[in-house]
Amino acid sequence: MIGAYSGWLIGAALLLALISLITAIRNRPMGIVLLAGLALIEVALLVQAGLAVTRLSDLEQETATFVGYLAGTVVIPPAAVWWGKAERTRWGPGVIAVAGFTVAVMTGRLLQLWNGTA
Amino acid sequence: MTSGPGRVLVAVYGVFALAATARAAVQIATRFGEAPLAYLLSAFAAVVYILLTVALARGERRLALAACVVELSGVLIVGTLSLVDSAAFPHATVWSGYGAGYLFVPLVLPILGLFWLRRRAVVTRTGESD
Repeated sequence: MIGAYSGWLIGAALLLALISLITAIRNRPMGIVLLAGLALIEVALLVQAGLAVTRLSDLEQETATFVGYLAGTVVIPPAAVWWGKAERTRWGPGVIAVAGFTVAVMTGRLLQLWNGTA
Repeated sequence: MTSGPGRVLVAVYGVFALAATARAAVQIATRFGEAPLAYLLSAFAAVVYILLTVALARGERRLALAACVVELSGVLIVGTLSLVDSAAFPHATVWSGYGAGYLFVPLVLPILGLFWLRRRAVVTRTGESD
């Protein structure tokens, strides 16, 4: 888990949430942009989880919570894709906005735990 | 399953149900003795969130309504107590400080939930559909 990498990830997740919000306000269902964005975030999250797990022994506290957050972040984008396909109205992107924001907050918590500032 | 704006509500409740359950489980499993009251409250909040997620997703209005009221009372009572007598709540719960640690989402959610359930009731009565 590298600070700068996770920082970029938080920024990307927030950007995705913003685009989803705009899509919802424009009253459009999930399109290729949101789908690609979610896929990109998912890959980035898997890389982050891989990096963090290989260096788990560096972590001094709250290992269980940390692993829980890692597992949680990886599950969110697929769930958002499933939901976006099921709900073909503006509320599909509404759910994706929630997912993007959740990923950003959870990655922020991961960083706090990693740096021992929680 | 609920569709339309209710989906967003279900998604947010789902996230909170997961987060609160995981947090309470870790707290109770690793250091229950430090603050039993706070951790039991965390577990109680988690149960309420799970109930609400399921009730909203399956469109069980009465159960969702009851759980929303419990949630709103919980966040108001625990929030007030945690500010008035902070010594009694040395360890944060989801509802401490009216959910300030969670961007006040725990306070806003039940209000949104009640509003949504009420709106749906009106829609159902007048026979309109979304």
